[in-house]
Amino acid sequence: MKPTSLRARAAARTLLATGLVTGLALITGCAKSEDSAATTDKASAEQGDSGQVVASPSASGPTCAIDAYGGDKTDLKSATVGFSQSEKEANPFRIAETASIKEEAAKRGVKLLTANAQSQFSKQISDVQDLIAKGADLLVIAPLNSDGWEPVLRTAAAKHIPIVTVDRKINATACKDYVSFIGSDFVAQGRRAADRMIEATGGTGEIAILLGAAGNNVTTERTKGFEDRLKEKAPDLKVVFRQTGEFAREKGQSVTENLIQSKPGIKGIYAENDEMGLGAVNALKGAGKKPGDVKIVTIDGTRNAVQGIVDGWIDGVIESNPRFGPLAFQTLDAFTRGDAVAQDIVIEDSAYTSANAESDLGKAY
Amino acid sequence: MLSVTGVSKIFPGVRALSDVDFTARAGQVHALVGENGAGKSTLIKVLTGVHPPDAGEVRHDGRPVRFTTPLQAQQAGISTIYQEVNLVPLMSVARNLFLGREPRGRLGLIDFRRMRREADEALRALGIRVDVRRPLRELGVGAQQMVALARAVAVDARVVVMDEPTSSLEPREVHTLFEVIRLLRDRGVAVVYVSHRMDELYEICDAVTVLRDGRVVHTGPLAGLDRLRLVSLMLGRDIGEVRGEGLTKFTGSHHAAAEPVLNAEGLTVRHQLHEVSLSIRPGEVVGLGGLLGSGRSETARAVAGALPTDAGRVSVGGVPVRGGSPPAAIRAGISLLPEDRKAEGIVPGLSVRENIALAALPALSRFGLVDDARIDRIVDTFVRRLRIKTAGPHQKVGELSGGNQQKVLLARWLAVHPKVLLLDEPTRGIDVGAKAEVQALIDELAEDGLAVLLISSDTEELIEGSDRVVVLKDGRVVDELTGDAVTEDALLRAVAAVPAGGRDD
Amino acid sequence: MTELAVARGALDRGRLLRLAQQYGVYAGVAALLLFNFAFTPHFASAENFRTQAVQVAPVLIVALGMALAIGTEGVDLSVGSVMALATSLLSLYLGYGPWVAALVAVVGGVLVGLANGALVAFVGVQPIVATLALMVAARGLALVLLPQLKDVRDPGMSALGSGDVLGVPYLVLIAAALALLVAFVVRRSTFGRQLLAIGDSRPAARLAGLPVRRVLIVVYVCSGALAAVAGVLATARLTASDPTSLGTLMELSAITAVVVGGTPLSGGRVRIGGTVAGAVLIQLLTTTLVKHDLPPSWTQMAQAVVIVAAVYAARERGKR
Repeated sequence: MKPTSLRARAAARTLLATGLVTGLALITGCAKSEDSAATTDKASAEQGDSGQVVASPSASGPTCAIDAYGGDKTDLKSATVGFSQSEKEANPFRIAETASIKEEAAKRGVKLLTANAQSQFSKQISDVQDLIAKGADLLVIAPLNSDGWEPVLRTAAAKHIPIVTVDRKINATACKDYVSFIGSDFVAQGRRAADRMIEATGGTGEIAILLGAAGNNVTTERTKGFEDRLKEKAPDLKVVFRQTGEFAREKGQSVTENLIQSKPGIKGIYAENDEMGLGAVNALKGAGKKPGDVKIVTIDGTRNAVQGIVDGWIDGVIESNPRFGPLAFQTLDAFTRGDAVAQDIVIEDSAYTSANAESDLGKAY
Repeated sequence: MLSVTGVSKIFPGVRALSDVDFTARAGQVHALVGENGAGKSTLIKVLTGVHPPDAGEVRHDGRPVRFTTPLQAQQAGISTIYQEVNLVPLMSVARNLFLGREPRGRLGLIDFRRMRREADEALRALGIRVDVRRPLRELGVGAQQMVALARAVAVDARVVVMDEPTSSLEPREVHTLFEVIRLLRDRGVAVVYVSHRMDELYEICDAVTVLRDGRVVHTGPLAGLDRLRLVSLMLGRDIGEVRGEGLTKFTGSHHAAAEPVLNAEGLTVRHQLHEVSLSIRPGEVVGLGGLLGSGRSETARAVAGALPTDAGRVSVGGVPVRGGSPPAAIRAGISLLPEDRKAEGIVPGLSVRENIALAALPALSRFGLVDDARIDRIVDTFVRRLRIKTAGPHQKVGELSGGNQQKVLLARWLAVHPKVLLLDEPTRGIDVGAKAEVQALIDELAEDGLAVLLISSDTEELIEGSDRVVVLKDGRVVDELTGDAVTEDALLRAVAAVPAGGRDD
Repeated sequence: MTELAVARGALDRGRLLRLAQQYGVYAGVAALLLFNFAFTPHFASAENFRTQAVQVAPVLIVALGMALAIGTEGVDLSVGSVMALATSLLSLYLGYGPWVAALVAVVGGVLVGLANGALVAFVGVQPIVATLALMVAARGLALVLLPQLKDVRDPGMSALGSGDVLGVPYLVLIAAALALLVAFVVRRSTFGRQLLAIGDSRPAARLAGLPVRRVLIVVYVCSGALAAVAGVLATARLTASDPTSLGTLMELSAITAVVVGGTPLSGGRVRIGGTVAGAVLIQLLTTTLVKHDLPPSWTQMAQAVVIVAAVYAARERGKR
């Protein structure tokens, strides 16, 4: 048995190695993608002018100052900032978010440590603990979950490390366990999408919602804002179809294909992110519809979706701005200098319509 | 002690038992005999709670009982040792022995040390010496069976059911087994004993029940029942007919050609074979004798390329065969009928037809597509020639009786026109009728010029079937019996002549 | 009298179960179709059937490869990742034209299949472990090659995704052709027979001199290549390469289709017709619930019920 199995093993190893090497050589050696002029450079070059703007003035809500939080005043320039990203940078939102933080750190000359939890919460906890161990004086966290942060918060509190969370809140006491939360108001995004939909459809008819992934707070809040506003402002606009597209283009496409067959009279589709909206556009094209036959409103503000407005397929895109860099560092700077900062910093998200899509295409991420 | 009255059991399409009465008494060894398909296994399964009866009643200690699971039967003191060992192969011998009733230490954890000690003692008492920490599957089939028996004895069973317990045991182990059975009988245990071997029945059993086609055809004390009468009851044939055919179907010796077709030299497999050499001439049946674990199966497997060798050469008709590769051996004309028919022989889910055609497929296809017409012809030929009893060529092989499965395997190999046929226990676990047919067939094949290697733990079969017997012990060739020396007596003496090594694994 | 009744009862029960095992999936499809004709508006239109067929095509193609792997008592968990890898490669090589790119994508699938097969056949790793390793590796490689969604604007690809011949979309034609091909190979080729024998009893197949390793490798290569084809077709339909989400949980959908179609996980049997029907059944189930706007969690529960029913039927058959 022994000699053959050894031989077999060696053969398998050689086979695997050869396969991998030739494969990689082939892939990297002579790849030639469709449009070689990469769009990523363009995107990063143009993103500077679209940093976030605070929606609610800091005076309106509770604030936090360094005396209340504990710790000493420092100068941000000499400090080390740790950034913990929740999901891998595989979608436009996360890519733009991480890029924005890195860019702002470089601009201010602050030393930045980064980590990515790859959508695993346990990894994010150990990521943050690593960042602290590596000497981070301040932390910016994009949390994957809202709960389960106690161990990290205890460690950070012992060292008086100020924490700013971005894009998602954590369940803890502001100004005790963390300093501030900077993020979008997803309910407000839903409300604004509803306004856009009412305007596009004229306030009557049947519409559909492509829900995000189930059990996600973004999904529930964007749905709540949208439906509440419809009830309040346009009771004649009936939601007759609610199905999940799981935030993915393919799922959005197949669900929409079924939708337009079973409900041919549908007037509008509200997609809770751009990808599902673009899937819906694919489905409409496949069914032989013309641009504008069915009104589509989406949320996020990716370049592809804004291009969709320019092409006439999408009616409105409500932005959810991922560029947290400037605002996060501004908050940390003010806080470490001793100024009071707001505990909840809600950012102003802009919107794209046919009026501004073409001119603002560069702002989209 | 344990009895059934008027039991019937019906499987879809088959009436396995009809109106069967059977009683096992305390302190008595009761033989249960019948051809395959007579309903023995089904009756045992009814007794032990595997199958509930469709009609009739099971009484235990005089009270009617209804076991719905084997566990309930076990708790009532009924232990079973099946034909196929049904223990957990990956667990250690000790764990298997104590499965479900492990000695607990403090905290309710398994007390491994005590378990090993007790396991060792229990096995020693039965004359078996193995390392109880080894996984069960590393033991030979015979040793595994003894572990199963030790388990049955250890649980203080009041009824012990044995389904062909000796089919994979050595004479010495059979002797030990009988000692244990007598011990059980003297303790007042009721033993139900199923076997195909006449000698054993007459040696150990007190009473006998004969089943045929799901019905009881005879029940009573064994003493005074003539052997031939018993055989005729089982077969349902007249005494004269049986007597005329003799007990085995072999006819004398064959006229063997001069030049050997198979030459194996110096086959060595670490810990298993040491420089085993043998040669077989066309038309010759060479028997491999020796105890369990002496290297008989290993020799056959090494020749057939199923067991990679560390040294040694095999050649067929003077052409060397690449070792360690069954396809190479098959191409050279060597075919092996493996010992473990169910696990290594048949492909149970495929039809009779597919099983017969399996090895010959490359020859029966064109451009990678199978030629169904040719397969049908070949299958048809063999089903008729070997008298394979089947509902049709598309019946699954798993549904056939053991004897017919064995015939299907023989057909599979004959379809590739081999020069050398290695038969490892060709008649184990098949009924008397089929056994005779297989034995006659082996004879016929040798007459046709095939070189046959025969391995059998049935000494009678080995002696009568072989022209020459090569005797193995501890993986070495120790003797060779030829001509008139091929007798049971000489074989036993050859095995016994060598100083015992003291190892039996 | 009683005995006779008992006998017939047992017989009918056994027969019924066997029938349920063999034709249950077709009955399920028929029942769902009837339900939809009766209660779903706009269901009985050519357009609708086209949509359903197009949507089921990628799952079906993956399930064909999966059926082969399951037939050898194995499983191929890497199929979803292979789809992602295929879409990445396709996007990277589209500059050479759609044919070259599609070929490169399929070669990628073949290489993953080769690695799977080598691990299973030569190194002796259990299929579930080997393909799990490749599942992680292939998805990782796909994301290294193409980190995020990228639009595919090639007219050839979009024609493949939405074009048709006499009203039958290319996707459906390709899936049907592949299903027929695989069915033919399983039924009529020596490879197919050998595959089944190996799946039913590996030791017996080995001793019967079958080329066990070669067959295993070919099976996983086929599975990889079919998954890659499915990846290319899904990309064409989406007109975008999305390695982050394409093919996620595809392995489960494919296994479901195969199992529901009556192919036992214990190997030794491959039912291509049943697999096709299984994929269609799951698709119709999802569609029915979507068209009636029932909550998505219902779809998952309905799928679970179907799987349990299929496994129950398989178990009953296995007992005899």
